[in-house]
Amino acid sequence: MKSFFIQSFKSFGLFAVIGGLILLSSCGDDPEKENTPEAITLTILTFTPTTLGGIPVTVTAEDEDGDGPQSIVFSGPIVLEAGTEYDLDITLFNGLLEVTDPEYNVTTEVKAEGDEHMFFFSWTNNLFSNPTGNGNIDARADAVNYLDDDGTYPIGLETSWVTSASTGTGKFKLMLKHQPDLKTATSGSTVGETDLEVEFDLEIQ
Amino acid sequence: MNFTWACLFGLALNFITAVLSAQSCSLSLTGIVTSDTGEPLPGATLVIDDGKQSTVTDAHGHYRILKICAGTHLYKIQFVGFHILSGAITITENTSRDFSLEVDVAQLEEVVVRAHQPLTEHVHNSSSLNVKQLADAAGKSLGETLKEIPGVNTIQAGPGIFKPVIHGLYGQRILILNYGIRQEGQQWGAEHAPEIDPFIASNMIVIKDATAIKYGTDALGGVIVVNPPELTDKPGLGGKFTTVGQLNGRVGTMSGYLEGGIKKHDGWGWRIQGTAKQAGDYYSPAYSLTNTGAKELNFSAAAGVHKEKYGVEVFFSRFSTELGIFRGASVGNLTDLVNAMERPIPQSTQPFSFDIAEPRQAVAHHLFKLNAHAQRTNGEWRLQYGYQRNDRQEFDLRRGSLLKIPALDLVLQTHTLETEWEMENTNGRILCVGLTGIAQDNANIPGTQRIPFIPNFVNYSGGVFGVAQQIFGKWKLDAGLRYDYRFYRVKGFDYRNAYYEDKLSFSNVSGTAGATLQLKRDRLDVNVSTAWRPPHVAELYSLGVHQSAASIEYGLLLDPITTEVRNISEVNFRNEQALKSIATWTMERKRLQIIASAYVNRIANFIFLKPAGITVNIRGAYPYLRYDQTNVLFTGFDGTATWRASASVKVFSTASIIRAHNLGSTGELPFIVPNRFDAGARWQQPDGSRNRLFFEMKVRRVMKQRNGPRVITPRQFLEAAENDIDLLAIDNRNFDFAPAPDGYFLLGAATGFSVKTGESRLDFRFSVENALNETFREYTNRFRYFAYDLGRNFLVSIQYQL
Repeated sequence: MKSFFIQSFKSFGLFAVIGGLILLSSCGDDPEKENTPEAITLTILTFTPTTLGGIPVTVTAEDEDGDGPQSIVFSGPIVLEAGTEYDLDITLFNGLLEVTDPEYNVTTEVKAEGDEHMFFFSWTNNLFSNPTGNGNIDARADAVNYLDDDGTYPIGLETSWVTSASTGTGKFKLMLKHQPDLKTATSGSTVGETDLEVEFDLEIQ
Repeated sequence: MNFTWACLFGLALNFITAVLSAQSCSLSLTGIVTSDTGEPLPGATLVIDDGKQSTVTDAHGHYRILKICAGTHLYKIQFVGFHILSGAITITENTSRDFSLEVDVAQLEEVVVRAHQPLTEHVHNSSSLNVKQLADAAGKSLGETLKEIPGVNTIQAGPGIFKPVIHGLYGQRILILNYGIRQEGQQWGAEHAPEIDPFIASNMIVIKDATAIKYGTDALGGVIVVNPPELTDKPGLGGKFTTVGQLNGRVGTMSGYLEGGIKKHDGWGWRIQGTAKQAGDYYSPAYSLTNTGAKELNFSAAAGVHKEKYGVEVFFSRFSTELGIFRGASVGNLTDLVNAMERPIPQSTQPFSFDIAEPRQAVAHHLFKLNAHAQRTNGEWRLQYGYQRNDRQEFDLRRGSLLKIPALDLVLQTHTLETEWEMENTNGRILCVGLTGIAQDNANIPGTQRIPFIPNFVNYSGGVFGVAQQIFGKWKLDAGLRYDYRFYRVKGFDYRNAYYEDKLSFSNVSGTAGATLQLKRDRLDVNVSTAWRPPHVAELYSLGVHQSAASIEYGLLLDPITTEVRNISEVNFRNEQALKSIATWTMERKRLQIIASAYVNRIANFIFLKPAGITVNIRGAYPYLRYDQTNVLFTGFDGTATWRASASVKVFSTASIIRAHNLGSTGELPFIVPNRFDAGARWQQPDGSRNRLFFEMKVRRVMKQRNGPRVITPRQFLEAAENDIDLLAIDNRNFDFAPAPDGYFLLGAATGFSVKTGESRLDFRFSVENALNETFREYTNRFRYFAYDLGRNFLVSIQYQL
């Protein structure tokens, strides 16, 4: 019994030393912080009136904690003037990175990979006179005025809107789909994975 | 030769007496055939005069031969498991004659190879797969192979990823011993299959006791022991090669090993083994399952010496695989999930291809092991050292240039060291004491450009145990006690990508007590044991979207309001603790064998994902869940019955029944395997036949799971969220996105034969699975929301044994 303990401690000791040396060499490194270019935490919608002197309307949707449980916070409803033409620019940012980081502005990346991305829109019926209807989230072929494209199909970072002549309130929703090898002339909002889905309140005054 | 002469003599006598007695052949010979202990033998065959007349005994062992001629006849009576009884009988009138057969012990033994590994000595309730059963399952992954055992099931992620489940528990709650070493990989993941090549095994044993004693923590459900064959020491070359082809998935698998002793070096042996496998997309009865292909390349080598007084062995294995993750299961938010569940054909379904595209996994597992044992006068000393390295990379559908960069890149290195001392005295008392130690390091490889799902950590664990066994007449009793300590140092980044670090320690005692009663033909095993499990860092710190689960998970230590990492002392955390009682009755009769197990497993502080609410982030709405603790109770029954209808025909059936109760108020537990019943029959040419031709048919019935959680469809979640209603904030009991699929029947058949070529043998096996091309979904397949399960499959396997 005694010899067993002595013997096993000797072997144990030897192995422990070897094992410890192996481990010490591997666990000394501290983890490195990762860049996280894929997160979009901030969406800014800028409606710019096409007439000179018009004041742009800007609304934001921000999810400060990324994947955390806090829901996104809207800066307020989109308030547009009746009977006016606007150009909508959508910009996307990754708030988990520094502003100086080249990956901070996600918009440029979406533009560069335009053949894999597409925006879809929906809104309460008749709040816009152009495009008519309620948007193309339910049917790809429905009217939306895309101003940009990836060379073949529209993207949707720039779109054109004319508000209706009468006032009203409702919702305005946009969806960014990632459709690698799936984007076609008929691929709708159900195709691919959703990178962004936000719904604002909309007021026509 | 004697027989022929006796036969001729008998015939001559017959003729003479027939002529002499002038009676026509209308006499009768009746009686009963029993064993030497008086048991009647139904189905025994009596052959008169080398086949001139024959009959079979009825259910009560009675036989009747009519229209037998007066005279002397030769008879031969046989029944499987008994020595053939032959002789001569003279009949002059209607005769009654009883026969008694002698048991042939060698034939009666089932070909169940109990491991001679010392590790499994103190086990009471277990099931095993022997070499033949493993050969029948050749080409399947470890989880699929083990599924044949009642009480064992699987959790799947598509057709290529199987995690074994013992009595309802899987992942971190069961232990897998790969050649005696605890398999350490990223088992916390529901899509992480164990990285073990089933071809290295000559038998597999599933231990259903919650026996933590010799192996350490985590064995709440049980232990799976994968045993390679013992090293040979016969000089000369031995080996086996197997090729399997499967139509569904166009899977080709080749595996083989060579082994031998070393001439002039008594007791030395070696073995090298390798497996290569390639699969393309599998198909369901309605459509192809795109991106479910896989590639595997494994290698192992062993060498050692075993003498009377000592032995040393060294083993190395490498397992590597690349697996496609079913493309149709890629979803983001709840809207994506609605679309995926409502599509009649999964998204991105393409024609068959061998290509493995994103999303995919690439895993490699290396194991190096050294073990030694030495006999002393009063006992045996054993030592085992293992080093494992598990590399896991997971690739998602990422934007642009990130596509080829892994979203998860982990390296897990583990050193294990065990030593034990076992003494046996003349009274049959065995005492074993031992020490175990583990040192483990988990590192995220930088460059993924994503916040790591689990942090880096270092884990040091140690344990000390003692087991005692004593034989009292027909009883074999044993008891054991163990103390474990585990220490973690964690370093990671939280949801804001801010650095945190933490130190955690856990310790507990576990115990076991069991008894085996061996009667003449029956056996009773009972065992009561406790086991505990420290939490995995994934359950404490993980944060993120679980791909294809369309929900966000938060670890136990994340603050519910701020999502910041808390110290464990701030949370009311307790170790998971299981108390399992199990009893198994084994009944052996001449023709019938029944094995029935019943068990109750109460687990306190069971860690599970509790729904917490709906969050709307930039990508849309997601349910989110937090790891929490509750008490649960698992009860169940497994049974196997085998009836040898005749020397060639065997009828068998199995049942696996399980019921899980959540003793807390958070609703029924999800993904508990539904009840399952199998029945089949096998016809086989008797042993000793040249070609061993067989034909087998099997039916499996899987019931619908009626005790699952309530259903809230993604559409219901979205409609409520549009009206600003958070369905989970109102009622946070467990939920499922879809109702449990209907129960189903699967029909399978197999046939085969052997060809002997000198000393070697070639075995052929042809089989069909899901012969009726049944359309079904498996409740425990996480991808059941997106697609049907596999359609009909044809398999061919050829095995060559040197």
